Amino acid sequence: MTTLKKILVVDDDPVVGKSFDRVLSGKGYAVITARDGQEALDKLAREDYDAVFTDIKMPGMSGIEVAARVKTTRPWLPVVIVTGYGSDANEAAARKAGVAAFLRKPLSPEMIEDSAHAVMPENRPGAAATAVASPMPAALAPGVPWRVGTFARNVGLFFAAPFIGLAYVIALPFIGLGMLAWRGYQALAKREQAK
Amino acid sequence: MHKLYVHPLPVRIWHWINALGFIALILSGVQIRYSDILAVLPFGLAVQLHNAIGFALIGNYFIWLLFYLFTDKIKVYHPDLNPARYYRDSLRQAAFYGYGIFKGRPNPHHVSVYRKFNALQSITYQIIMILLVPLQFYTGLLLWDVNGFAGSIELFGGVRMVSTVHVLLFIFFSAFIFIHPYLASLGHTPTAHFKAMITGYEEVEEEPVKDVAR
Repeated sequence: MTTLKKILVVDDDPVVGKSFDRVLSGKGYAVITARDGQEALDKLAREDYDAVFTDIKMPGMSGIEVAARVKTTRPWLPVVIVTGYGSDANEAAARKAGVAAFLRKPLSPEMIEDSAHAVMPENRPGAAATAVASPMPAALAPGVPWRVGTFARNVGLFFAAPFIGLAYVIALPFIGLGMLAWRGYQALAKREQAK
Repeated sequence: MHKLYVHPLPVRIWHWINALGFIALILSGVQIRYSDILAVLPFGLAVQLHNAIGFALIGNYFIWLLFYLFTDKIKVYHPDLNPARYYRDSLRQAAFYGYGIFKGRPNPHHVSVYRKFNALQSITYQIIMILLVPLQFYTGLLLWDVNGFAGSIELFGGVRMVSTVHVLLFIFFSAFIFIHPYLASLGHTPTAHFKAMITGYEEVEEEPVKDVAR
């Protein structure tokens, strides 16, 4: 039995945390979310995590400050910046804080999965656990390592798409009739109950 | 309003060459098919033109295909594997096109880099780009050299079958050429989507930074 890797996703937009959860759940990860930097630090003080993914622009503490504080107290914990505000200044500040990677939104499911995989200490060859100012791993700069399995799945879905689409189109009238029948049945049942 | 880069350069180059090429193919195809009542071009020249443009568009198609196959933008053409969500989104989109748009209601689909198509567009473009366009090229290729491809034509069901499929698809694409610009004019301004297909940037209301994987 393998232990789930715990990932803390810090973003004031709950959609981001849900996306991470959707992509990573069932793949050996448990995604826990925090809405701001303070909540993230509180959670980190209470329990151990395997990686932190944080947005930069959040109410209160910025993601860079979260990264700096995490790296001060837990230099072994990989922190990944995920941002739509990917300026050079932000990236330089993030590097100075010792982040493991700097990812720019929008993120594809592969970027999420691959970055989560890549920042885990056992998957970072030569990365010293105490590297406070560790440089960005080559595989994560700027984002996605190329993987045969992912490529095959993407291409398979691509060529299957028109046939799945045709199946949806062919099924549509039956689903429509089924929905109408179901609504009719519900209406009749309601009328019977009213009597 | 935020600008979101949703139409990369190879896609834009393919799109505009394809648009002009398809119009030229339709016009030259009409000339070939109705040469008894239409004489804008000599028959032989119309055939030569039609063939040359056809080959150019087959080459152009590979710009599109290779771009999507070898980038993560391939997700734009992935099917929704959740039928309940697909039908729900399609019905909402159909309700918008059929009713909501005339009442000024907001578009239920929000563009993002990996979901630039709404549910109806998505299925339409998947079928068109991955099935119908290659089928049209294939039937065109068979008709270009009937003797050379005699075996393939036989497998397809004969020349009459190949020709019928080619003409039926020609009718479909001719209709598409009219419907596509109309639908493209339904952005927040009538020219928004046209400009986006030139610059690459769509103007979207929500923050692009919130665009994450589905």
